[in-house]
Amino acid sequence: MADAQFDSALDLLRRLNPRDTKKNLQAITSIVPDLTEDLLSSVDQPLEIRRCKQTNRDYLLCDYNRDGDSYRSPWSNEFDPPLDDGTVPSERVRKLEVAANDAFDVYRDLYYEGGVGSVYFWDLDDGFAGVILLKKGVTPGSSSSGEWDSIHVFEATDRARMSHYKLTSTVILHLASQSQALGEMDLSGNMTRQVEVDLPVDSDASHVANVGRLVEDMELKMRNLLQEVYFGKAKDVVGELRSLGSLSESNRDRATQLEMIKGMQK
Amino acid sequence: MSSTVELASSFIEGAPPGELADVVADVQALTEGDDILSSLVPAFERYNESQLATVKLPGSSEEVIVSEFNKLEDNRYFDTESQTSFEVDHTTQTASAAQSSPLDSQNADLIKSLLKSLGNHAREHYSSSSYGVYPIENDSAVAILLVANRYSPNNFWNGRFRAIYTVPVSSSTTTVTGKIHVDVHYYEDGNVALNTTKPVNVSVSSVSAESIISRIASAERDYQEELNRAFVGMSEGAFKGLRRQLPITRQKVEWEKVGGYRLGQDISGGKGR
Repeated sequence: MADAQFDSALDLLRRLNPRDTKKNLQAITSIVPDLTEDLLSSVDQPLEIRRCKQTNRDYLLCDYNRDGDSYRSPWSNEFDPPLDDGTVPSERVRKLEVAANDAFDVYRDLYYEGGVGSVYFWDLDDGFAGVILLKKGVTPGSSSSGEWDSIHVFEATDRARMSHYKLTSTVILHLASQSQALGEMDLSGNMTRQVEVDLPVDSDASHVANVGRLVEDMELKMRNLLQEVYFGKAKDVVGELRSLGSLSESNRDRATQLEMIKGMQK
Repeated sequence: MSSTVELASSFIEGAPPGELADVVADVQALTEGDDILSSLVPAFERYNESQLATVKLPGSSEEVIVSEFNKLEDNRYFDTESQTSFEVDHTTQTASAAQSSPLDSQNADLIKSLLKSLGNHAREHYSSSSYGVYPIENDSAVAILLVANRYSPNNFWNGRFRAIYTVPVSSSTTTVTGKIHVDVHYYEDGNVALNTTKPVNVSVSSVSAESIISRIASAERDYQEELNRAFVGMSEGAFKGLRRQLPITRQKVEWEKVGGYRLGQDISGGKGR
């Protein structure tokens, strides 16, 4: 029954307003406390920002850099609040993590021109795994705002001179606008996509490039998808609900057109 | 901490257009063993009245609105066009026990002409809608309601347009005040919601059905045009400002080169694993 309840919880969160995911997640886990751990690790929420005390740089918080109540900074590798025995990656994977943070910092600058990013890696028995986080908020004019959160979780499994990558990407995008003429408009949500691929690996440096390209391609795909759903699909549905033009006129036009086609077929 | 009934009630009231039954099924699965539905009747009632739920009158294919404006006692509501009152089961959204309910209002003539004009307006701009005009506030005003639903669960989208106006019937001029709400849900491999609220406040120079509905029609048209512009504005504004489609150089990232210094320094020796 627990599995069925987990599925129902996910279904419910997929239906209720995506703006309220955090509140609804708390409500569900208060009704069924046993689901808490599974839901927290499978439901993506907007990322929180913290300042690294050692380096004075911002980093992002998620379940993957958390140990108890502390979070590990990717810049200093230290936990805040400090932990003596916090879980950190092995030396090799930490080196990769540092290189990936450097590389994705360049990526963030090129594509986001601001915002905050963090990369966290951890060891697996037959490879390693990681999460790439990117966040940016904008307020163009006082009456509109936008917030983007990217969460890319991957596993890299070692094979002979190759690595098998499995990437699951979620983008959470909140947009809001308000004015006298418009009233209030909120366009919010999240979309998730997955990809699996085998790529050649000659050295550990290949991993950063492979994951980099996977995330870059995925974000381009998802940006296009979000654009289509948010500004195409949503607008089309409004047009399905209410027609700006007169329906009787467009029905007459359609009838006339049908008559003409029939006439030509005779 | 809130009780299970309170939390489940918030889920019911937050159900997106056309997905109430799915939300109910999820709530039942999460509260397995408890017979929670009977405790949720007040939430169903609030959902139905605020979302302008529609029910079929017994023996009729016509859908009529359930709202706070046409509410009687004991879960009964009335429809002015068919001059019928009916009982609503809020949990199942079904109507029963229909009775004749003649329109008893000093504004009966205005209400009838408003229904006619509103019907014409609805047919011109909504391919599927229900509407109603009811006497309110001790017969000193009328409420004008319209709801249009389009559900396409096979394509993972549903939508609802609601317009709720009140018009005091007093002297020669009056003001239409109300709100338009548009809610769209898209949920294929994700969960995207559009929720809008637009307050309407327009004065009408003569208290006639034609002028009232004509003002409403232009307010709705203006709003839809403004909303269409807002989609473009968001796409060109906030969305573009968040993440570029390509870097300013129009080139994708050269991953072998970025962070290359550190890779060279720290990892290049690591050919073996």
